Parts: sequence; structure tokens; C-alpha cells
Amino acid sequence: MTLLQRLEQANYQTTAIIAGSGSSFSQLVANARQLRLKNPALQHQAIALVYTDLSSFCAQLLAFDGWCAKLYLLPDPALLPDNTWVFSGPAVTPPSRPENHPSTPADSDTQWFMATSGTTGTPKWISHSVNSLTRAVKINADSKTLRWALCYQPTRFAGLQVVLQSLLSGAALADCSNGDAAERLAKIQQAKVNAVSATPSLWRQLLMAGDIQSLALKQITLGGEIADQSILDTLSKLFPHARLLHIYASTEAGVGFAVADKKAGFPASWLTQGHSELAFKIDSQQHLWLKPPQQPDSKLAARLDNNGFLDTEDLVGVTAERVYFLGRASGLINVGGNKVVPEQVEQVLLQHPCVVQARVYGKSSSLLGQLVVADVQLTQGCDNKTLKLQLIQHCMASLARYQVPTQLNFVDNMATNASGKLSRQLKDKIQHD
Amino acid sequence: MNIEQQIKDSLSQVALLANCQLIADINNDTVLLQSGLDSLGFAMLVAQLEEDLGIDPFSQMQIAVYPRTFGEFVGIYQQALKG
Repeated sequence: MTLLQRLEQANYQTTAIIAGSGSSFSQLVANARQLRLKNPALQHQAIALVYTDLSSFCAQLLAFDGWCAKLYLLPDPALLPDNTWVFSGPAVTPPSRPENHPSTPADSDTQWFMATSGTTGTPKWISHSVNSLTRAVKINADSKTLRWALCYQPTRFAGLQVVLQSLLSGAALADCSNGDAAERLAKIQQAKVNAVSATPSLWRQLLMAGDIQSLALKQITLGGEIADQSILDTLSKLFPHARLLHIYASTEAGVGFAVADKKAGFPASWLTQGHSELAFKIDSQQHLWLKPPQQPDSKLAARLDNNGFLDTEDLVGVTAERVYFLGRASGLINVGGNKVVPEQVEQVLLQHPCVVQARVYGKSSSLLGQLVVADVQLTQGCDNKTLKLQLIQHCMASLARYQVPTQLNFVDNMATNASGKLSRQLKDKIQHD
Repeated sequence: MNIEQQIKDSLSQVALLANCQLIADINNDTVLLQSGLDSLGFAMLVAQLEEDLGIDPFSQMQIAVYPRTFGEFVGIYQQALKG
């Protein structure tokens, strides 16, 4: 069933979007039908959606799922794939249809595409079906009473999950995805939100931004980063009656699961018993493998084994009771939910005339999960008092702020492993005390 | 050097590295998020203080109230160093 059919069937008579005058579910459905009427030429085409505001975005999702062959959610205009045009609404005339563009029969499902940060720094478009995207949606008597805050970019996996959960369960949704922690907290308070999904780092910032105890939270969700016991304990003490979940998601694979027992990691018993329609295993390299119920994108075939398990490339540690997440096997650094590819930062450092070798890795941070650290070997005679600052300014010129090393260590030599590559050991430790 | 002064020194150092413009007069009532340092800057400050003082009160923090002002922030370090 398409998203629009699901909402037509549910026939919710409540507010869907909280903002200004707001939008009801019936308005969203009517707007979606209008969009289809005005855009017959988009049927079976590939289009990309950009985010402007929640009401328009949700109406577009409803209109074009089951209408277009391919739906790209574009987090950044630079990522626009070939043979695809951006829907800029309310009606667009597509350019002449490219010959090589595959069109699909009317009754086939829309393929959704979302960009991942990938393991190389080059974003990859991974396809999803509406069924796999909505597999985690929970609908019960209570879910209609929820007022969700959208704290993630809605064109990314975590944000879309919040949007779909809210829409399909008849809840209300407020856009709190922009601004600093204080501005977001003000929006959360103004919208009388009672359900929030955010990264552990954003939760810590919200705690520092003001009085979040005054919020009547019924649902607290943490995702996008490893949730440590400390933040889970703090939130469960503040909101003892709220449902507290932390989510693990391998966005590339479109699989994930929620942990509801307020403890970091997940129960070791899931390794033998499975959970949430997933089978689990851990290999000798400490990689977590998951077997999803649906076939993942064919681009991921190389990461599948003969039994249909997918290498999540997430490192885990196991105790008798619990499995804990340690970080990415690739060394990918997660700074408050933003992914940093160490090699990319190393390349930038190496462009500086004073740098001979650079090794970039993550260091645990109690506030942002991880911070970027660089060990740097200098050319002789280059060391001077202002060099650290110079190198950081050099990085700032070509990297996003969260990618810039927060600590630079000048070292005499760089350890290399047997194959001659720089060793980039994961500096994270298990946090479960 | 007292803790407050040490934290202020680290704050200026980190602000320089993090390319943040601190407000002119930071006192006990300054709201942390309005001091000019952003969330990345704060994480850097806490990491720097862990190197200088050998403690990170946030890593084991299970208290219900996170610091909102500079005074509260200093207080958490004073408390942690005593304990």
C-alpha cells in the first residue's frame, strides 16, 4: 500500500503538522491529491525532493510515493543524480524524457533513495522500499496522543523515520530541526511536544540549554550515535514515566532495532534468539552482522554472506549479558551524529607544506560522543608556536567545522602496521559502567 | 591558580582554536550557550580540562541537572576535584 492509501484508510481527523496555522491530516491528503493532479507528467519519473517546510514536504511524500518511479530525498543540492530533476512545486514540467531513463509499470512500488555518508566520504544513494522504511513504525492507541519534535534533517534516514512514524500513527509533528540547542528547546516548548527523537549529543545540549524537566515527555528516543549509560540514566531519572528507547540503525542497510530496557547496548540473548525480525551474529573481527527480513540494496551485495547476513561494519564488544557498540570498523568518526572520514581530514592536513604525515582518529567525548584528533609529523624546522593555529585554519578553509581536528599532536614518527599502512586504532572504549 | 581562572584560560585558548568569538565579560551568571562557544567548542573545552585537571565530570555524570551558567560549570569542576 502507498503512504497516501494508508492515510486515506486511517482517516485521521487531527492535526498532522504543528506550525503557524498548522495542517490537518485531511489537508495533507487533499494537498497530496492536488499535487498528483497537477503533475501527471511526473508519473513513473525519477524526481528529487528538497526540504522547505514540513507541510509541503509531507504532502510531497504522500503524493509521489506510488506515483513516481524513483524518489530521491536530497539533503544537499550538490548530490543531485543524473537524469533526475528537483521538484520545486506546485507543478513542474519535466525536461524531455531521457531515452535511457527506465520507466516502471504503473502498479510497481516507488523506489526511495537516501544518501549515506558511506565509508569513503563519497555519498552513496541507497534504495529503500516504502515497506522497509515503515517497518519500524509503531501504531497503538497511545501513538495518536503524541506530539513529535523533528530534530533531524528530514531528508536523512533518522529524520524520515520520525516523519513516517508521526504521519502513519496519527500523531502531530513540529519542525525543530534548525537552530542551536536553545532555539530548538524554545520550539519544542512552544509546540507542546511530548515525544522527542534526537542524538545523545543533542539531548546533552538540550539539558544544558534550559529547563527540559518542564516538558511532559511521554516518549524519548536516542539515535544516530552510540547511547551511553550516563545519558540514559540522566534522562530516565528526569522522566521516570516516559518510554525511553535507543535506536540502532544501519542506514545503508535500512535495518535497525530499538532497545527499550534503558541500558546501553543490547541484550546478548538476541545473538541466539534474534529480535525485531532480525537475526544477529558477531564475527571474529568483532563486526556485528544482521540478517534483515528484506533483501537490501544490490549495491550492498559485497557485504552479504551466503546466509543473507549483512556486515554492518559496526564494531561491538560482548559481555555475558550485553553487547556494546564500540564504533565503526572503518574508523569513521561520529561527532555528535556527523560522520567524519579520517582519510579525508588527513588529505587536507597533508596539503600543508609543514606536514609530512598525518593520522586522524576519534577520541571519546563525554559531550559529543567523539572528537577528531590528529597526530601530525612535521617537516624539519617547521615547528613554531603558531603552527597549530595555522593548521587548524588551513583545515577550516576546506572542511566542515565538525571535521576539523580539535586536537593536534606533533609527533616524531608515525606507527605503521605490517602492510605499511598507518595504524588507525579505534580509541573508543566500552562505556557501560 | 584557582579553578575558575584555569577554566577561563582554557576557555580563551579553546575559543581561539575553535574559531569562536567569546563575549567580553564572562561571569558566573553567563549562560553557557550564550558565551560565544558552540557545542563543538564546549566539547573541546571539556576535553582540554580533562588533560589539564585529569578529570571529566561529564563522563560519569548522573546528576539530573546539567550546568547552564558558567558559575554552575565551574561548580561542577570544584565539586569533582573535592570528591
